[in-house]
Amino acid sequence: MSTFRLRGGRVFDPASRIDGTIADIGVRDGRIVELGPEESVDREYDVTGMTVMAGGIDMHSHIGGGKVNLARMLMPEDHRIRMQREEAENALELASCGVCTPGTLATGYRYAEMGYTAAFEPAMIASNARHTHLEMGDTPIIDHGAYVMLGNDELFLSMLAKGEDFERLRDYVGWSINATKALGVKVVNPGGISAFKFNQRNLNVDETHAHYAITPRQVLHTLARALTELKVPHPLHIHASNLGVPGNVDSTLATIDALEGLPGHLTHIQFHSYGTEGPRKFSSAAERIAEAVNAHPNISIDVGQIMFGQTVTASGDIMKQVKQAEFASPRKWIAGDIECDAGCGVVPFRYREQSYVNALQWTIGLELFLRVKNPWQITLTTDHPNGGPFTSYPHLIRLLMDKSFRDEQLAKLHPEVAQQSALASMTRELSFEEIAILTRAAPARLLGLRDRGRLSAGAAADIAVYRDDPNREAMFSTPEYVFKDGELVARRGRIVATPVGGTHFVEPEFDRSIERTLDEYGERHLAYNFRHAAIGRDELCSCCNGGRLLPAACSVHGNNTGEQSS
Amino acid sequence: MDATLHTPPWTCPFCALLCDRFGVAQAETLTPAGTRCPRAARALAQFGAEPSPARPAVDGQPVDAQTALDTAAQWLARARQPLFGGMATDVAGARALYRVANACGAIFDHAHGRALMHGLTAMQDRGAFTTTLAEIRNRADLIVCIGASPSARYPEFFARCAVGNEPDEVGPAQRTVVPAQRTVVFLGCDADADTDRALAEQPGVETLAIPLQGDLYDTVATLNALLAGKSLRTGVDPALAALVERMLAANYTAIVWIPADLPGAHATLLVEGFDRLLKALNRTQRAGGLALGGDDGGASVNQTLTWLSGLPLRTGVHRSGLEHAPQRYDTARLLADHGVDALLWVSSFGADLPPPHTTLPTIVLGHPGLAATCADREGPTVFVPVSTPGIGSPGHLFRADGGVVLPLTPVYEDTLPTVAAFAAQLGAKLASHKENAA
Repeated sequence: MSTFRLRGGRVFDPASRIDGTIADIGVRDGRIVELGPEESVDREYDVTGMTVMAGGIDMHSHIGGGKVNLARMLMPEDHRIRMQREEAENALELASCGVCTPGTLATGYRYAEMGYTAAFEPAMIASNARHTHLEMGDTPIIDHGAYVMLGNDELFLSMLAKGEDFERLRDYVGWSINATKALGVKVVNPGGISAFKFNQRNLNVDETHAHYAITPRQVLHTLARALTELKVPHPLHIHASNLGVPGNVDSTLATIDALEGLPGHLTHIQFHSYGTEGPRKFSSAAERIAEAVNAHPNISIDVGQIMFGQTVTASGDIMKQVKQAEFASPRKWIAGDIECDAGCGVVPFRYREQSYVNALQWTIGLELFLRVKNPWQITLTTDHPNGGPFTSYPHLIRLLMDKSFRDEQLAKLHPEVAQQSALASMTRELSFEEIAILTRAAPARLLGLRDRGRLSAGAAADIAVYRDDPNREAMFSTPEYVFKDGELVARRGRIVATPVGGTHFVEPEFDRSIERTLDEYGERHLAYNFRHAAIGRDELCSCCNGGRLLPAACSVHGNNTGEQSS
Repeated sequence: MDATLHTPPWTCPFCALLCDRFGVAQAETLTPAGTRCPRAARALAQFGAEPSPARPAVDGQPVDAQTALDTAAQWLARARQPLFGGMATDVAGARALYRVANACGAIFDHAHGRALMHGLTAMQDRGAFTTTLAEIRNRADLIVCIGASPSARYPEFFARCAVGNEPDEVGPAQRTVVPAQRTVVFLGCDADADTDRALAEQPGVETLAIPLQGDLYDTVATLNALLAGKSLRTGVDPALAALVERMLAANYTAIVWIPADLPGAHATLLVEGFDRLLKALNRTQRAGGLALGGDDGGASVNQTLTWLSGLPLRTGVHRSGLEHAPQRYDTARLLADHGVDALLWVSSFGADLPPPHTTLPTIVLGHPGLAATCADREGPTVFVPVSTPGIGSPGHLFRADGGVVLPLTPVYEDTLPTVAAFAAQLGAKLASHKENAA
């Protein structure tokens, strides 16, 4: 039994409504406990003057699976950049490199030393689920999980087109989540990835698929309803239609409308908040999107902020990525049609401050952060690596917390953007409490992780302790202490232990008779034995290097884990 | 006696198609049950019906497991630049060997490294436009096989893509489309193989052999020029012009090649040519490419090393950092140039990937059938017989088309250690060597 106390820190635990109170945090055997001030402990850390938060949770970060590994293969130059990390010559770290798409080992190390203790792969293709779990299992220290992609798989589309009973579709969704050991469901360009296979190059929310008689609106509503009825905590994770297309604000609003009040999480919404105003027919529609989010409590978003510099975009949205490929920098790209199930597009980009389009994208992301009123509806992401690598989060946090720093950066951008952006007049600076919501409490709540993203008694002791620094980027880059399940894993930006992370997933109930349909379909259409489709718990364990299995309880969406006081 | 040792879903680990709809039966050796695949039959015949009693050896002399381990660890600890070659193992083996490589600073290559590099360097330079088996099965009304027929190395390829299946076998029950009529083109292939001839007799299948115009490089260049609408100075073979017309008229064209059969030292240029062709086609039509390769764990090891380190095969884990050198880190070249001073050779799927000739200290983690070869070598040799994933132990392998990973179920419980288990011991031993040295 090991016990320790963090003494005298400023605690920000929005899930327990603690906002900067000076308090001690007690830990016993990996859990947070109430400890009397006199109770003896094995170790006491004096964290006076430091900021204490739960470990960070990244709910949308492409950390593992087919397209991420393709991105690594495509970009050896990214991996030849030797990072200036001489001081980090650390025998505990196995060799692993890369900036925009680091190896899984480096991914775990860099997240942990930044105070993050969990990250979620948002686009797990069902046929690629084992691969995804293998990669996440090789991502050390942090916990992980994934959302399975549905809504472009031909079985779902054909069942929907045939007008099969909703219950059958719901069972299929339940089966898919179980079989792939997913934590949620993501839909990417609803129906559009499939439509591209039939040479359809665009698919609007109310447009009909070239082959299956369905519309994206139907796909969205069916999936959102299925998840609600299956009591999966995470709302439908939605990569909306028309990624990156000027004027896509209309389809984004239509997507919200299609949910008819059902819960939905619109991901990397920055890439879906574009208007067509102005001489270049490309403008910010952040205000309209933020208004819609503010008016729809059933909606949550993450931003997908872009960061200037080299990155590589990896998306399931082959339809839109093939269109973007002409902007690839360097000039090379990968696209693939995958197993009647999904697709992928991997396109390197260099976001430039002097590009009108990129500068505007940057301001749109920040506008969204500052315009959405309820911080519980928004989480902090760069859609790693699509908008930029996750290692840029401390910089992004500084942009949100420091108006003068933001203005300095804005002044460096393409002059038309710098002069016209609404961002210049926005004075809001996010508080520590709001940062704690955007980076831990809200993601935990949106994912149904009841004992994470919080510091109340009973919660897992995933804790980050930051030494105060007026430069918030420096402060959030190298926390003084990072604990994972009560184990000290990083100290001042140096890894000191590398435990294996756990896997979060859900196991909703469903009617198993759907398996007969799946077996028949598999026999005719798939290239592997249906009996290999499902990943059992034992197999998951071996894929994930023996990491802990962390099944989340199924209950209603947006359960009230967030706002109770402890 | 019921001789079936394993009914489906057994996954065949012996080629990167990973067929999982037949089983394994027991005779004097193992035999496939429910397929006529000659490749599976040949591979299974290397296994007795019972686990092998093989024991480790040093320079041909039987030793106990501990001695083999100690000797291997000593050699690796002494080496200034070891090479991990062969690498015919599964995901778990690659994971464990990566730790060992970190402990001793090794370079990784694979037995099929050269063929793998054709695709990898083309991808690093240009990218790719890919498709998968189920996509071909359900969508491709035109399959263009370039350079070699898939059937020679991958006997089950066309069956896996349901080419020639009766229409009702893949029928309209789910209202998903399966092409009722397909054309399979053999461009520059020796299309005399029995299976390919049989293919032409299947309902709904039209086959077409088109000879090369010049060599394969010229032919691919011509196809690209025709597709780009460029006027050519030399006369164009009407068959090639017709092929381009077919591709432009097809609903979905699959272009299939076998990296191991691509001719010439610069086959990367051919793969780049296929990429150009595919991307040009996809401007207005739909098409995807499939490279059939990655056997003997090649695809799996390449994927695993890429995610762990950030870099694919032919990477060295050096004290100064990782270095990826697709040309330099070639096993034959490293051995010829004396670029390495110890070899760890892994060949766990069969006896047909023996270690290369060298006088260097060599540690072989191999199929028991390699014992004789390993007893008769010029240089000092440790031989450790290991379990074959999918025969004596479970495991995971990647299919040739990239994203699909299938679990391997053993036919029997082995007495031999897995590559991963031996590598884990080796890694621990090396770590203690380091501590003693410090």
